[in-house]
Amino acid sequence: MSKVQPVLEIEDVTVVYDSPSGPVQAVSDVNLTVYPGTIVGLIGESGSGKSTLANAIMRLLRGNARLTKGQIRVMGTDIYALSKRELRTFRWSRMSMVFQSAMTALNPVMTVEKQIVDTFRSHRPQMSVKEAKERARDLLRLVRIDEKHLRSFPHELSGGMRQRVVIAIAIALEPQLVIMDEPTTALDVVVQRSILNQIQELQAERGFAILFISHDFSLVTEIASRVAIMYAGRMVENTEAKVLLPEVDHHPYTEGLMRAIPRLTYEDVVIEGIQGHPPDLIDLPSGCAYSPRCPYATAACMEIRPTLHRLSHATIECHLYSPTKEGDSEWPAKQLLYKSTT
Amino acid sequence: MAGQAAFVQVDDLKIRFSIRTRKGPAFITPVDNVSFHIQPGEVLALVGESGSGKSTIGRSLVRILEPTAGKIQVAGQDVTHIRGRSLVNYHKVAQMVFQDPFGSLNPVRTLEKHLEFPLRKYRAKNHAEVSAHIDYLLQRVGLTPVREFRIKYPHELSGGQRQRLAIARALAVSPEFIVADEPISMLDVSIRAGILELMNELKQDFQLSYLYITHDLASARYFGDRIMVMYGGRVMESASSRSLLKHPLHPYTRLMFAATPGSDWSKPLPETSNEAPNLLEGRKGCPFAHRCLFVQERCREETPALREFEKEHHVACHFAETLQ
Repeated sequence: MSKVQPVLEIEDVTVVYDSPSGPVQAVSDVNLTVYPGTIVGLIGESGSGKSTLANAIMRLLRGNARLTKGQIRVMGTDIYALSKRELRTFRWSRMSMVFQSAMTALNPVMTVEKQIVDTFRSHRPQMSVKEAKERARDLLRLVRIDEKHLRSFPHELSGGMRQRVVIAIAIALEPQLVIMDEPTTALDVVVQRSILNQIQELQAERGFAILFISHDFSLVTEIASRVAIMYAGRMVENTEAKVLLPEVDHHPYTEGLMRAIPRLTYEDVVIEGIQGHPPDLIDLPSGCAYSPRCPYATAACMEIRPTLHRLSHATIECHLYSPTKEGDSEWPAKQLLYKSTT
Repeated sequence: MAGQAAFVQVDDLKIRFSIRTRKGPAFITPVDNVSFHIQPGEVLALVGESGSGKSTIGRSLVRILEPTAGKIQVAGQDVTHIRGRSLVNYHKVAQMVFQDPFGSLNPVRTLEKHLEFPLRKYRAKNHAEVSAHIDYLLQRVGLTPVREFRIKYPHELSGGQRQRLAIARALAVSPEFIVADEPISMLDVSIRAGILELMNELKQDFQLSYLYITHDLASARYFGDRIMVMYGGRVMESASSRSLLKHPLHPYTRLMFAATPGSDWSKPLPETSNEAPNLLEGRKGCPFAHRCLFVQERCREETPALREFEKEHHVACHFAETLQ
């Protein structure tokens, strides 16, 4: 394979929030690479660190959050080495972001046209207003919104249309990387589907890469070619999307998620929730953060933090897949597999 | 309807709200002539998008809203327009679990206070009995160790635990019927299944009937015995959940099907526009006509009636036969 320059490289990134009860690691030692023209999914529950990671990539960490370790490179450029001024031009022209809530991402007292024109004018000062307006019209056409809405205010648009406008603004400057943080979560299924189809079309046409963040497992596995799964701030698995099947080896958390989702079938379905509840980041176990909820967990899991193991289809941070297990009996094994009992 | 007496029987329910438009005041009917029934111990899943009228129906069934027309009978009693004492009594039969477990709990009350209030109001007992019942309820919904949870405040709970408390509060009056309005859609994926499991156990233990309101066909299939699909204030299709998923008849059901993540649909979506339905009073024709691929002139003029297409499988489409 020839060396393709990745669009996004995340290396050993740790993000810490300062809190009254001490520093809280929201993202711990995360590694992730996104190649040009691909869609990578990022799955996690609330508090798993997925949005914090997105903000870290955009260098939007605010207030008490800071990147304490690691490097983030977009198109080979270290984001945190840029000056404020450089960052300003870099952001949006190389990487952009679609936020979850389209209503708050848009300015309520500005027309759609003005917001798109502003995007062009602030990044391309040499562009005339006339040209920017033309581009705005093209963009709306691209996301299939009628031109008449150029003069609409955000509140006059439906939720789906607003999200399309936000997407149009995100791709206005033709960035190589678009981060989408739950872009369709607040929308109805049908609208969600048509926006997803549109994202896929635009992506295929323009060739940008997408980091697609969501808590919806089935949605991500459909749209992405690779899927990264976060739990308690750690990336516990990074896998090819097409092997996210019950019969393939995965992280116990991934397995749990797959079993927790009702499938759309007329046959009788059995689903099973993951026992326990999401972890408290202030008070994490010293070993694997998932061990209190894991059906395979042994004493070793509670004490020793697992390392990443490379399998043919995935990298998984779990003792189950560790080739060398010193000592005896304490290590988890897959015999308990619920799959084999059914 | 069927010969067997239904536990919940709704006939021609209509709910009207006044709105202001540029042309002056007008009325919308987000629920327009809806009829259905729920058997004792049965779960009816009500599926639809936002604006379909599903939450409005839920609210009218627990009589937070008073219907404009039609009739709601629960356990043989006509509750359509009851007030005062009889409404309080009705709330011993029917309870509601809301979508937002953050907004539906009182942040300055402990868990035990949340349960004590309904117990005292509806099941007045002496102090010891109330206290014992609080223990029992917390235990039943899995908020254990009870001793610790009794004195916690809602902000100390995770989303799933809060929803468990909301369910315990609904259970406090020993209801026979629960309206659950999107009870899992704000929760993390890994704990959703647990809440559905809990509701399922309670259904069996207490012979509860449910109206389960959701936008998600997959969870409707999982929890619902029957599914009723709504669009624009009207019922489009209703059938046993197995039959509905195996053999969806209405173009809207099929569209929703194709759009749900995890479906094996790979073609473009079967719809023509994505405009919201018209809810104005006096509208005519099929509410889905403007988005339907198979629309005919008749669809815009004549409102299709909900009719039995196959046994126990009802559909409101003029052309259900020809769409096979």
